[in-house]
Amino acid sequence: MSSSLHPIERKILSTLAPIGSLPFDSLVSKTSLNEDQVRRALQWLSSKGMVSIEENRQSRLEVVRTPPELVLIQKVVESPRPLTVDELKAQFGSAEEFSAAFGRARASGWINLEVGPPSLVRVGDPKVSEALNSLLKSVSAGIDEKSLPSGQAPLVADLLKRGVLRRVETRSTKVTLTESGKTSGSISPHTAGTELIDRLTPDILASGAWKGKSLRPIDVEAKAPRFYPGRRHPVRDFIQEVREAYISMGFTELQGDSIHPAFWNFDALFIPQDHPGRDMQDTFYLDGLSDTKMSRTGTVANVAATHENGWKTGSRGWGYRWRIEEARRLVLRTHNTVLTVKALSESKEKETRVFAVSKVYRNENLDYKHLAEFYQMDGIMVGEGLNVRHLMGFLTEFYKKLGMAEVKLWPTYFPYTEPSLEVVGYSKAVKAWIELSGSGVFRPEVTVPLGVSVPVLAWGPGIERLMLMRYGLEDMRALYGADLSWLRNRMEFARN
Amino acid sequence: MPVIRINFARFSKMVGANREKILDRLPYIGLDIESVDKDSVRVEYSPNRPDFGTDFGIARALRGLLGKEVGLPKFPTSASRISVSVDQRLNTIRPFIACVTAAGIRLDDEDVRQIISLQEDLHNGLGRKRRTVAIGIHDLNAVKPPFSYKAVQSSFKFVPLGGRKAMDVGSILSQTEEGKAYGPVFAGRKLYPIIADAKGEVLSFPPIINGEATKVTSRTRNLFIDVTSTDRKAGDDVLAVVATTVSEAGGKLGTVLIKHPGKPRVTPDLAPTELPLDPNLVKSTLGMDLTQREILNSLARSRLGVKGKRALCPRYRIDLLHPVDIAEEVALGYGIDRIGPVYPPSRRPGLFNTFEEFLDSVATIMAGSGMIELMTFELTDEKSLYSKFGRSSSSRITVQNPRSIEHSALRDALLPTLMAALSVNVKSDYPQRVFEVGRVFARTKEGVSESWHLGCLVAHSHSSYTEAKMYLESTCRTIMGKEATTPEEQHWAFAPGRCARVSLGDAQLGHVGEVRPESIEAFGLGVPVSGFEVNLTQLFELLK
Repeated sequence: MSSSLHPIERKILSTLAPIGSLPFDSLVSKTSLNEDQVRRALQWLSSKGMVSIEENRQSRLEVVRTPPELVLIQKVVESPRPLTVDELKAQFGSAEEFSAAFGRARASGWINLEVGPPSLVRVGDPKVSEALNSLLKSVSAGIDEKSLPSGQAPLVADLLKRGVLRRVETRSTKVTLTESGKTSGSISPHTAGTELIDRLTPDILASGAWKGKSLRPIDVEAKAPRFYPGRRHPVRDFIQEVREAYISMGFTELQGDSIHPAFWNFDALFIPQDHPGRDMQDTFYLDGLSDTKMSRTGTVANVAATHENGWKTGSRGWGYRWRIEEARRLVLRTHNTVLTVKALSESKEKETRVFAVSKVYRNENLDYKHLAEFYQMDGIMVGEGLNVRHLMGFLTEFYKKLGMAEVKLWPTYFPYTEPSLEVVGYSKAVKAWIELSGSGVFRPEVTVPLGVSVPVLAWGPGIERLMLMRYGLEDMRALYGADLSWLRNRMEFARN
Repeated sequence: MPVIRINFARFSKMVGANREKILDRLPYIGLDIESVDKDSVRVEYSPNRPDFGTDFGIARALRGLLGKEVGLPKFPTSASRISVSVDQRLNTIRPFIACVTAAGIRLDDEDVRQIISLQEDLHNGLGRKRRTVAIGIHDLNAVKPPFSYKAVQSSFKFVPLGGRKAMDVGSILSQTEEGKAYGPVFAGRKLYPIIADAKGEVLSFPPIINGEATKVTSRTRNLFIDVTSTDRKAGDDVLAVVATTVSEAGGKLGTVLIKHPGKPRVTPDLAPTELPLDPNLVKSTLGMDLTQREILNSLARSRLGVKGKRALCPRYRIDLLHPVDIAEEVALGYGIDRIGPVYPPSRRPGLFNTFEEFLDSVATIMAGSGMIELMTFELTDEKSLYSKFGRSSSSRITVQNPRSIEHSALRDALLPTLMAALSVNVKSDYPQRVFEVGRVFARTKEGVSESWHLGCLVAHSHSSYTEAKMYLESTCRTIMGKEATTPEEQHWAFAPGRCARVSLGDAQLGHVGEVRPESIEAFGLGVPVSGFEVNLTQLFELLK
């Protein structure tokens, strides 16, 4: 046991051993250590139960000065002849001090005044001053306030008030060896620590000086300094999970710009130009910017005709006059289907699976369930013979990979898919089915103008709701609030 | 999306099903349940199904799905002998009108509430806030046919709905709530549309307000409904929805002769619309080998009819445009939950995007250096972007009509949003070391370019240029095994003399330095901050 003690600890134990108990100051002087060393070692020893430390707060009285009336009577008694008032007064530093002292001495009968001329001061009853004298002597001798005769309390209070006495607070620390300290400390300070190494150093290692010695054991339960590891953002962690789920299902990842002409964000998806979703209330249009090079040729012309009358798609179309100006406006994409559709239009592949996990933007006031920018994980699957059942199969599997075992598919509506399905998942927290994703089979009005002749399955889920469920949060803003305390302290493996 | 409230007691009688069954099946006709309480359920419907704007329409669809009443619903009409003459001068103002009458109706309070809610939803949806289409519902007995749809001047006077005194059209536009809200459709006009009866009594001033004379009350037994529009198809669609709903509510529909100059017509036309029924398209879209009988039964449950190779769609189904829509109607009638999922295995391996992989590895290196990753917003406020750094905002990129000024300008750098992030963390333990890999935007001659940056800030009492440079250099070495050079240069975020350009050969990648004390103060921070920002898009191109 004693080998686990620091040399300082052992020194203290051996100093205490003969007496059993010492005040802190004596301990410091007897060990010739500095106060900090002793204090630290006492902390260790006390946590090991080897010493007990007793802190005492005490208050004692102290004489600040001799009361002036006592000075005055002294002068009167000691003078070989009776003094006149003026002679006495001349021996005081100030007139105020004299008159206060004279007044008190006379009022208590210590002196008498023999009316002159000249007026002489004579000793009255000197015993009267003995009470004061003995009190001052007791205080000076260090007698505890509580041990003074109880009748003196008013006098003490008066003297404290007058500043003759003052009360001094003192603290004293007494260190006492405990039973376990007595047994452990019975080591001669002489031999303590000789076989222990405090810290390995390159020198000790090089010289081999460590051989035959042990490392001094330390308090392995003591607190270490607080440190915050560097960490990825929880949203990024989740995105990584989503990307891996997609890759495992044979998808190729896309990346692309956030700003697009309204044509790709809306028109190419058969969203009519006066659709409420295209309003400035919902969509961010860039101030004063548009794609002026876009003209009604090629794909743009096909899409325009599809809106107006269905073109060659077999549809009736929306039946309105399509305008290029509306299609040229630049928008912050409102969904990532803009990326997958553009890729589709460029590659015209007959069989492919692509996805993008990226930000989308909506003109929203931020609240607990709305953000102006958030992530979606859109994907499409292109291939001969694909149908609604494959869409259902993919979505069920995809959400299983993301930890949502229980999903349902309900019919819904989007201008660019038919049939359209909504994926809902059961939230144990709110005890309800909540929307997870829109999905569907692209309408011929979308695919045919782009030159695609095979079925295209598409979906565009958000990620934030899933994340709130996972982290047990209720407010989407918390995810992007940059709250360092959450980012640093959140538990990596806490899953709801 | 519009929301309507359905009362269980009333609705149960309309569909012949209990509360549990109703709640279970509503999602399968495409309605989202918003909330449920003891007496009612609130559902959200898509504006492409305006027939779901009342419980009458929802009940009609649900009766079909539950097999209680299937096939094409019938809407018998007879001629009302009422005509409306149309003033040619309205051609450039609000040219189209379509009307219907409904006789022998008895509306209770809930019926009235449902119809008013439908009217509002149609105004906001298909009606595009009454700009395109407006609906007026009147007490037919209060007026004397024939009616006229005519152009009047702003001095024309009548008593508007809810008013006691006659007002002129100009005052209605400038003084009433409706006038202020919907009046802008007449900006710059001198003539205004009015519907009046044979004696000059005003039914409506579309799309602003009805006349007081034809106000509908619980005692009203015969309705006259007008729909005016700037788009004939949209107007006819809206009238079809309203007329079929009123018919469900017990009204006997009467047609109205519209005397458009030169081309008179009778409204409403409630004949079903037709689309090709292509069984092969149905089967291939749904992946189900359905029999002809199954297809027909499913369509009947979706309230569609079939005539030979054509599907007959009720006139209110304005969402059916293409044969593929018929395939979905089959799926709904069959029951979406009876169509089982089939997972299609992939024949190709998946592939990560190499640039995304690059960004990811940069972020991993930064986190490994002890940094906390932040994800801040790309749309931020101009103050954080510009004035807090004392720089000009002349090249800012802003969005139109932002709802929040906090999200109105696209960032051109990460340092501002990172500084803003530090400013909300002044009470967290220091040192704070943060980074972000994020998208930034820059103005170009052609418009806007986008690139990805790495931004990093180190904030604590001893943060310095040297520490920032240490992280920059270690990151560069780890990414590409090359040293970047750092010639002195000025930058808006950093203090002069404590700032350098980050260069790789001829390429200028970014800047490193100690943040100016003015900016530290402007963001409310109390410790020195140093950091760097480099362009990863450019770096990636260099490394390729």
